Amino acid sequence: MKHLKIFTLFFVGALLTSCESDFLEPDLTSAINGGSYYNTAAELETAVINMYDGLQGENSTSANDNHATQIEFYLTEMRSDNTRTKAQEGEAAQFESYAVEATNGIVADYYRSFYNVILRANLVLANLDAATGATATQFEAEAKFVRAYAYFNLVRLYGAVPLVDRVIGPADTDVSYTRAPIDNIYTLIVSDLTTAVAGLNNDFRTRASQAAAQALLAKVHLTRGEYAQARGLLESVINGGNYSLEPNFGDIFYNESNSETIFAIGYAPGGVDSQNFSAEWLNAVGRTSGVNYVTADVRTAFTDFGGTERSEASFRQDASQPQEYQVAKYFPNGELGPDYATDPTKAGNDWIVLRYADVLLMYAEAILAGANDTVDQAARDAVQDVRERAGIMGNVTIVTKDLLLNERRVELAFENHRLFDLIRFGKAQEVLSAFSTANSYGFSTTDLLLPIPQVEIGLSKGQLTQNPGY
Amino acid sequence: MKIKIYLTLLAVFVASGMSFAQTQLSGTITDENGAPIPGATVIVQGTSNGTTSDFDGNFTLSVEANQNIEISYLGYITQVIPFTNQDTLPVSLVQDVDELDEIVVTGYGTQRKSNLTGSISKVTNEKLDQIAVSRVDDALVGQVSGVNIAATEGEAGSAPTIRIRGTGSITGVSDPAVVVDGLLVDNDYLSNLDMNDIASFEILKDAASAAIYGSRGANGVILITTKEGEEGKTRFSYNTYTGFKEARQSDAYYFSLEAEAAEELANEGTLSNRTARKLQIGVDRDWQDVIFDGGTITSHSFAVRGGNKKTKYSTAMNYVHDEGVLLTDDFKKYNLKLKVDTKLNDDFSVGVNLSPSYSSRRRFDGSTHDILRQTPWLPTYLDENTIQHINRLRDGGKYANAQVGDYAIQRMFDDWDMTNDVAVTSGQDISNTSNTNPAAKVIERDRNDYKFKLYGSVYLKYKIAKGLTFKTTLLGDFQHTKRDRWQGVQAHRNGASNAQYDISNQTRIHFVNDNIFNYSFKSNGHEVDAILGFSAEKWDTQFESASGQGYTSDLLRNIGAADPTTVTSDSYDYAQRLISYISRVNYVYQNKYLASLSYRRDGYSAFGPDSKYGDFPAASVGWIASNEDFLAGNDMISQLKVRFSYGISGNPFFNVGNVLVNNFPYLSLLQSTTAIVDGANATAFNPVNIANTGLKWERSIEMNPGIDFGLYNNRVTGSIEYYERTSDQLLINNPISTSTGFSNAIVNLGEVKNSGIELELRTKNVTQDNFTWNSTFLLSSNDNELVNFGEANGQIQNVDSKRAAEWINQVGYPISSFYGWVVDRDIPLEYIKEPYHPIGAEAQDVYVKDLNGDGLIDDDDKTILGDPYADIVWSFGNEFTFGDFDFSFMIQASQGAQVRNMGDQYLFNHFNSGQDFNTSTTPDQGFIKQKIFTNDIIQDASYVALRNVNIGYNVPEDLLSTLNLSSARIYFAGQNLIYETAADYTGFNPESINNTSPTTWGYQRAGSPIFRTMSIGLNVEF
Repeated sequence: MKHLKIFTLFFVGALLTSCESDFLEPDLTSAINGGSYYNTAAELETAVINMYDGLQGENSTSANDNHATQIEFYLTEMRSDNTRTKAQEGEAAQFESYAVEATNGIVADYYRSFYNVILRANLVLANLDAATGATATQFEAEAKFVRAYAYFNLVRLYGAVPLVDRVIGPADTDVSYTRAPIDNIYTLIVSDLTTAVAGLNNDFRTRASQAAAQALLAKVHLTRGEYAQARGLLESVINGGNYSLEPNFGDIFYNESNSETIFAIGYAPGGVDSQNFSAEWLNAVGRTSGVNYVTADVRTAFTDFGGTERSEASFRQDASQPQEYQVAKYFPNGELGPDYATDPTKAGNDWIVLRYADVLLMYAEAILAGANDTVDQAARDAVQDVRERAGIMGNVTIVTKDLLLNERRVELAFENHRLFDLIRFGKAQEVLSAFSTANSYGFSTTDLLLPIPQVEIGLSKGQLTQNPGY
Repeated sequence: MKIKIYLTLLAVFVASGMSFAQTQLSGTITDENGAPIPGATVIVQGTSNGTTSDFDGNFTLSVEANQNIEISYLGYITQVIPFTNQDTLPVSLVQDVDELDEIVVTGYGTQRKSNLTGSISKVTNEKLDQIAVSRVDDALVGQVSGVNIAATEGEAGSAPTIRIRGTGSITGVSDPAVVVDGLLVDNDYLSNLDMNDIASFEILKDAASAAIYGSRGANGVILITTKEGEEGKTRFSYNTYTGFKEARQSDAYYFSLEAEAAEELANEGTLSNRTARKLQIGVDRDWQDVIFDGGTITSHSFAVRGGNKKTKYSTAMNYVHDEGVLLTDDFKKYNLKLKVDTKLNDDFSVGVNLSPSYSSRRRFDGSTHDILRQTPWLPTYLDENTIQHINRLRDGGKYANAQVGDYAIQRMFDDWDMTNDVAVTSGQDISNTSNTNPAAKVIERDRNDYKFKLYGSVYLKYKIAKGLTFKTTLLGDFQHTKRDRWQGVQAHRNGASNAQYDISNQTRIHFVNDNIFNYSFKSNGHEVDAILGFSAEKWDTQFESASGQGYTSDLLRNIGAADPTTVTSDSYDYAQRLISYISRVNYVYQNKYLASLSYRRDGYSAFGPDSKYGDFPAASVGWIASNEDFLAGNDMISQLKVRFSYGISGNPFFNVGNVLVNNFPYLSLLQSTTAIVDGANATAFNPVNIANTGLKWERSIEMNPGIDFGLYNNRVTGSIEYYERTSDQLLINNPISTSTGFSNAIVNLGEVKNSGIELELRTKNVTQDNFTWNSTFLLSSNDNELVNFGEANGQIQNVDSKRAAEWINQVGYPISSFYGWVVDRDIPLEYIKEPYHPIGAEAQDVYVKDLNGDGLIDDDDKTILGDPYADIVWSFGNEFTFGDFDFSFMIQASQGAQVRNMGDQYLFNHFNSGQDFNTSTTPDQGFIKQKIFTNDIIQDASYVALRNVNIGYNVPEDLLSTLNLSSARIYFAGQNLIYETAADYTGFNPESINNTSPTTWGYQRAGSPIFRTMSIGLNVEF
């Protein structure tokens, strides 16, 4: 019986030690429990940084990762007259030929990625209580800048989209499956950027700044035809004196955080903060067999308007396929210079969203204010500054709409501006129709908006409506 | 003589092996009818001095006066006879009716087979260890009805896919639970077991049987029992085999330049420049011969087992080396085992089991489809002849310094001036890829998995009172897995910049403490066997990995030698905890009426505070009609039992691709990430999931009626059963609107039904002394149906967005069905742009049917094209003995499954993924679609295989005694000597599946081949 007692003790002991209430709740050691985080400004800052990580996107092929900026060129440059795929095949080739299908994976990827960026911004805004005073103001301004940037891209690419201005869950289908009117989206963008302008300073180039918010808001106003507001904002940036044109055009893309950069998305070579597009634009180096290849049409534009310096710094002949031309901006960490990444698919080139030349050209555009031409001195000076930096001398005597559009094309080629510029200038229909006809593509007006991803429409059981033409 | 052998082998056993021989007693052991009983154990009580009876029931034994001799044989009542200087000892053993039945392990206990009320299949290791496979699960193919084991990967050491009664889970894990000697181990443990040391497999198929494993029973349970020492003399056994393996190649995937040129000449009247250029190089080879290089497999196993009344021990060691049939695959496995059980006194017994094992596996680090789509004119290396034909100007002089012995690359042969037969910078191209040589991709990579596992258990068993025992067991399982992968400087077209080294280490420690009371009671026709227990279980897992790139030499393989800017590393750890309350009562009344009730309650750490616990009850009943008076003495029916079971079991495991989310789905997790902000690296925390605090187990509800029968004095035995298993509240990573910032949320949703029939028939066709013939026929059919899939019903999925062939998950159909257009007709050759380049190319487009007749082809013309699940799987085994010879074979077949053979897309279209018909002349282009979106590549995956053949010779008694052996056997064994596939199947392994997501099942991308193995083996025991 003695043994039995020992045994009973052992058994009960085992029960007690094992049944401690926390036995079934082991410690979480390799992740943070978000439910009890964001208590201090330092903790909230990790959410702020996380927004920039979102814009960066993962350099991965995983279907569920955020790819954000890494895939933006497919939806912008390749839908303009600037670039195309090398092989003209596959999902990527739908863009250049204006045959995008609602099931296109890249279309869904970008939509998902930028809503993920919006989630990250909304998470900061939802936890602003964790910070106080100037820090809270700064974080709020940054979050609103990032959110506005995401919505500005979404609304221009997809049109009316769901307006998510707080952290939502799967049950909030009334938000997820309702396309907010375009005006409402712009109201949020303008309001967010106004807050951002007020709350930011000019300390950063790869993080939101006041000038970035002003320049972005100016572009929003230009898009909406509100030229006076745009002009005021751009004058603030120009008169602020914090930015200037980089003397050598080609250096813009390799001297990171140079004086011309107003807002760039930061990358670093090698690791998780690298990007892939620099490799994909090469010949079969990245995951594709060559995308964002330069069209003959844009090469003609360079010949006509760009000048040698910009031509050389913007595209080059493909050494292994001499009939093809590659984008020469953003060679993996300066393929031709120092700091060349050992693996081009893990390049670290920063991606410039807003630079001073864009501001100068927008300024001329704001002065032009929708007219066909202007002889305004400030407008002429702005354009002339940009041209002179590119080594094109001679006075600009008049700024016409076409001149400005062509100047933007060659100055900002392959920087994801062309499609938006065409639309904003009201030239998209005319230019892209001609381009499409010349190349036997199938452009029609409805191609100016991308389809709402079919997967979203499917999940909404038809509650989300599709854009016309899809 | 025997003592000498003992001395040389294991000194420790000498003391127990020796005895002071006084008298040589001989005797004969027979049954009640006077028939000799071979193999009966004869032992002097209290010693280890013993022997076994020979084929004629004879034995001799050294005995001292006044010792007691114990004679035992399974199924017979043990006799004890005092030695009183008899000259001979005739013994007649009486059958023990209770013991007639096989004992079946049921999970936390055992039961006589005749009393089973659930569906449990037992496979005894009789000849399984003679099948030349390196993994134990590979040997189980065709051995059990309702268990489908498919060689989804054919590499040496790779795990097959095991499904018991179909797939019930979607995001959850559908692999059965594996229990080794009472410890529920990770499924991966199957890679490290030694078949020579396994006594039996018991497969718990229905939920009522599996419910004793509660939350982990939903996919069925495989119970593995290793060999124990037996009372009697020490037995040494040595088993070995060696064999060679060769791949089953595909005729359809054989591409011949010569044949292609002949066809071109016949059709066109002349050879194109392109073909002429290819012929110049002088190489024409089948890449299947290069990458399916065959291999050998060898196994050595040595064991010592024995024991006496008090202590039994079993120790074994095993070495297996499987070279695999692919170019670099290789698998080695080492096992050690020590198991000792001892009775301390009448009340206490203790035991220990310690089994370390180590396996190393080199992978085939490439894709067969990628290699086999290479052109037949490309050599592996440049030699004196082929180097004459390379273009040193090509790609800006990239190949200017190519030498004999370098890997040949297609691009080297481009840009040839056919008129002057010289290299130029712009001439005839023949390459269809810029990739490096396909063999380089495999040979220049070195990818290995190393697994060390230490299994250990100790138990203490106490007899509290008559019929009542308590057993506490501490089981542990330590696993260390190291993986490394070297991609050498020549492994990639980009050369050294892409050289990469990846390494990871995972340590996983698993402890279980089981505490079980067992109560047995037998009186007046009532038999009760009950258990009540408590169990606590924990797993702690740590993982770390590092990766670096930019190596300039193959000689230095460490992270430190990498370009520092490319080095990345990661680590994480997590814990899992499980608490269980276990109870079961088995009741038998008058050997006729059977009932079993069980209840288990499990609490699991991965579920939220409100849903940690799940309840898993089960009940089953049976009626042994053959023990009723009205069937007593029936000439035909010797055994008849009707049974019915109903139970609920569960599955807590799911994989959403993030181990932390898998283990903490009830929390909103933030994981660290970094961003480059203002030129510097800054830390951020990113939300990775949507928390679900109410998440709970997948539930599996199954009912299972069955009949077991024995006819004509059990010459024919078998069973027929039907099951219907409904799996609901499935753990699903449900797609949600991405405007939430997430793509998926884990929820309990959906319902899948598996139902089917299983038939087992075993016959003793001939039972003569020198000739026996037994047959076994097993058949199972399973029907899989998605009953409810919530929001996701009708979702269309693909595996590869670049070749987005579609699957649909549609209620009313199996979990996944192939989806797409229906082929109407081929495009005539005259419209194909380049029919003779690349070699063996087929048109990749085809005319499809306008199913709804609206004059255009769109999504509305897509339809369900088939499904990847077998309708019927059967096997037919036969065993013959002719005196000392025996012969057995098993035919196994699967019917009704289909695969989407993307291998055809890759191999027949090579690297050409653009449209390949002439757009200016081809009519009705609106009706043309790529073949991958149609049923063109959906193929019948049925097969019938001669799975196993075994021809053996057992050395006869007289020769054995001369050799001082107790048994010896030599045999020839073969696997898959015949393997026939359906006529429309083009690949080399219809069982191969590339993607393991249940919602896109049936995706095959060439994969790795079925192989045939021929081996010879030797088993010796002394």
